Amino acid sequence: MHLSGLDQFFWAATFAGHIALLAVLWTRRRAAKFPAFTTLISFYAARTIALYVLLHLVDRHAQRDYFYAYWSMAVVDEMLQVIVFYELARKVFCPTGVWARDVRRAFLWMTGISAIVATVLTSLASPAAPRLIQVVMLRSDFFTSALMSELFVGMMALSAIVGLPWRTHVARIAQGFGVFAVVCVLLYTADNYFGLAQGSRVYDALSLFRRSIYAGCLGYWIVTLWQEAPAPRELPEAMRMQIYTLQRRVEYDLIRIRSWRRS
Amino acid sequence: MRNLYFVLCAGFFLAGLAATSIRYYLRSRQSSRATWEDLLKRLTWVDRDKIARIALDAIAETGEPRRGEDGFVLEPSEIWTLLGGLEGLEVLERNCQVLVELASYVQRWYPEALVVAEQLRLNAREIEWHVGRLKGAAQTGNLQGAFADYAQRAVATYYLMTRHVLELYEQASFPELAQLQAAI
Repeated sequence: MHLSGLDQFFWAATFAGHIALLAVLWTRRRAAKFPAFTTLISFYAARTIALYVLLHLVDRHAQRDYFYAYWSMAVVDEMLQVIVFYELARKVFCPTGVWARDVRRAFLWMTGISAIVATVLTSLASPAAPRLIQVVMLRSDFFTSALMSELFVGMMALSAIVGLPWRTHVARIAQGFGVFAVVCVLLYTADNYFGLAQGSRVYDALSLFRRSIYAGCLGYWIVTLWQEAPAPRELPEAMRMQIYTLQRRVEYDLIRIRSWRRS
Repeated sequence: MRNLYFVLCAGFFLAGLAATSIRYYLRSRQSSRATWEDLLKRLTWVDRDKIARIALDAIAETGEPRRGEDGFVLEPSEIWTLLGGLEGLEVLERNCQVLVELASYVQRWYPEALVVAEQLRLNAREIEWHVGRLKGAAQTGNLQGAFADYAQRAVATYYLMTRHVLELYEQASFPELAQLQAAI
């Protein structure tokens, strides 16, 4: 497999970006707040090293090993992205530590419908490619980006509908993922339309564009996760107790009003 | 041909995603950047005395339901008139959203206020649910039978929400308390 100078530049730049982001996550103590996101970024950095070693240092003809490694890691990548989505969703929809009662069902519906829509759209794609595995690759890339974009946009819409605010860093991570996923839908649509039967020139050009967008997202995460969220005011203990008492009273009101009957 | 269908569907899909993103992003941003004055401006005037009369017909000032002959003296037609029908209830529904945002406003400085804001949000959803039921009843011609029960619950919930938002501002010693007392 031949890599151009530009390919190698993006590979190195993305790796450096992941390492810088990990440094930010650990030094600014965000890793504990976003363990799944930190795991995903660590995985990306480790994946770059593993694929580089496979491509350059192991038997140059072992393309098959590289291929299997790439695909196994793509599956892990997809699973981790879903876990990161769940991690962010929990932070938005579980403001007091448990799922907001009115959100859970809507969230499950949104997830289910997103998966169905992504599956139907993917089934419509019929990219032309010389090898079956390339067809599978083009379609699965489209499916992944369609699903992730729906989930992130759906999460944003649902939180706005029910009126749940986003904390600063949760919003920034989700925005990065959401923008990247939506751009990917556009690019993978083009990939599936043009296919690989006439060569990979279009695919390579779109892939370059995709990697540039991802590098931009990485930069956005590095900057925004480095910045601190607005500092809260210190709450006196007595006031804290009053607020918790008030919360219980508001909750109790609702229970009482639900229980009365007009004769 | 099939590829063309795919591109068309993907185009609609992308347009839908983009439109949804922009719409809800702007809505969230507007809500999170709203100033105190913006929030107060969004409150629609309601006759507090009439709201209190309907609410206190069913509950005491403490929130306890009234029992026996003390409670539920108002006739359904009186509740309808005092409230201004379904339109009056829709005004309360909109004001509820502002009440939740007023609680979230405190949360910007005191994150601990989140628990109250979240509980008020659930109360507001309950009112939305009552109004939704009444709108459904209006469409099926059963509004008269259902109105008093659902409307009085919604008004009582709203009334208590206003008390609790004021209490939250009082506890947080927010200087805007006096202005808020005048507004709600």
